[in-house]
Amino acid sequence: MAVESEHVTADVIEAMEFPDLSQRYGVRGVPKIVINETTEFVGALPEAEYLAHVRAAVERNGKDTT
Amino acid sequence: MALISDADRETIRAHFDESLTGDVEIVMFTERESLIIIPGKQPCEMCAQTEELLEEVAALSDKLKLTVHEISSAKEQAFALGVNRVPAFVVEGAARGRVRFFGIPSGYEFSALIADLVDVSTGVTDLSEETREYLSALTEDVNIKVFTTPT
Repeated sequence: MAVESEHVTADVIEAMEFPDLSQRYGVRGVPKIVINETTEFVGALPEAEYLAHVRAAVERNGKDTT
Repeated sequence: MALISDADRETIRAHFDESLTGDVEIVMFTERESLIIIPGKQPCEMCAQTEELLEEVAALSDKLKLTVHEISSAKEQAFALGVNRVPAFVVEGAARGRVRFFGIPSGYEFSALIADLVDVSTGVTDLSEETREYLSALTEDVNIKVFTTPT
């Protein structure tokens, strides 16, 4: 997705090496995906469902202006 | 001893020959072992191995270029790329956005790295048209963190 849009930054994080991040994001299973700090899911999803999570995160951002 | 076996090396080299179209720069940030021991400061366990692995990968194609920075002396560049821990590296090429890796890309992450190098080289993904349309119309920043483990 980061290849397709200048607005997307994709981070691949090795959970065992960075326990502080794993703890902060509550990683109990992998792959765990966190989008914009607000939307998360565990496991590989079909692309359409993955995109739905991205949409949800973007919409949530729009509402959270605080 | 090499981290990538001879057989894998040849497979990846052939894959790169066939798939890489544009140049890709791998910008790595590391922390080399210091002779001075600083109390309370943990040495970077995976830095040396990550650097070695990336050197081996970059050697498999003329289109790949690896640059390694000691993070303490490249703070501005690390900050600009959003890198605040090591080992980490950014894959730059034809991607519109940014792809970063934190930690050693071994195990499953290794195949993700090889696939990402190809995507970033070509600037093309196999995402559906719907996904690509949505992404190209994005006006807000999106950060996607993918937590993985080597096994």
